Amino acid sequence: MKIIDEHTIQIDRDLSDLDLFVLEFVKIMEKYTPYTLVSGYVALLFGRSRNTEDVDMFITRLTKQQFHDFYADIKNNGFKSVLVESEEELFSMLTDNLSVRFGKGESPIPNMEVKFVRDYLDILSLQSKMKVITKQGNLYISSPELQVAYKKLVLMSPKDMEDARHLQRLFEIPEENINKYQELFRRYGRL
Amino acid sequence: MEDFRATNQKQRDEFIDFWVDYVKTHSDEEWSRQQNMLINSGLKSARLSREEILKFRMTKA
Repeated sequence: MKIIDEHTIQIDRDLSDLDLFVLEFVKIMEKYTPYTLVSGYVALLFGRSRNTEDVDMFITRLTKQQFHDFYADIKNNGFKSVLVESEEELFSMLTDNLSVRFGKGESPIPNMEVKFVRDYLDILSLQSKMKVITKQGNLYISSPELQVAYKKLVLMSPKDMEDARHLQRLFEIPEENINKYQELFRRYGRL
Repeated sequence: MEDFRATNQKQRDEFIDFWVDYVKTHSDEEWSRQQNMLINSGLKSARLSREEILKFRMTKA
């Protein structure tokens, strides 16, 4: 793993089936809108030794027409919405700030859990995104520092605390860098 | 019960620290090969169809 600059990391890991699934999905998604991967997948990409069933992603808001084009594209590439099929309903869920999930083929696991950004904090995840260069393409992730802070101060489940511990130790993120997010999280109703 | 949970979490945290140090001191290829065994097998099990699970159980029995 090589930190190239403040916004770029190169990782020479052998890609897992989960990584290949994510890379295939984001190649389609990035034709329509910027995205950032958040939460557990960020920890997994950098080696956390656990499994997951979903990969969380924030995207900028799409118009109805953009969503129509995107949905047609992913369906043509073998992805299927999990739980809800109607395009109308999916778009409505996204605009109501709910997440929608897409799996490959008939399998609901793994799935991409996609959400529109809803406030400044979500937008910050997009703005502070980092490029991760892998052997088979680039991924954009939210900054590990923000992810550690969110998991440690907001989500706080045992799984999140463990992900945070992994990332914080790996990237040697000082505690004071994490604590500086307290006020921001409070302002946007996360605390 | 609290003691049991605390001890369990402490051991889990110790393993996380050990594993992070492993990731930092070994090549990406090396640690990812081990991590992929966990991730790929988990996904493979999740993708097994009902028929495949039944077939697998019958073979084992």
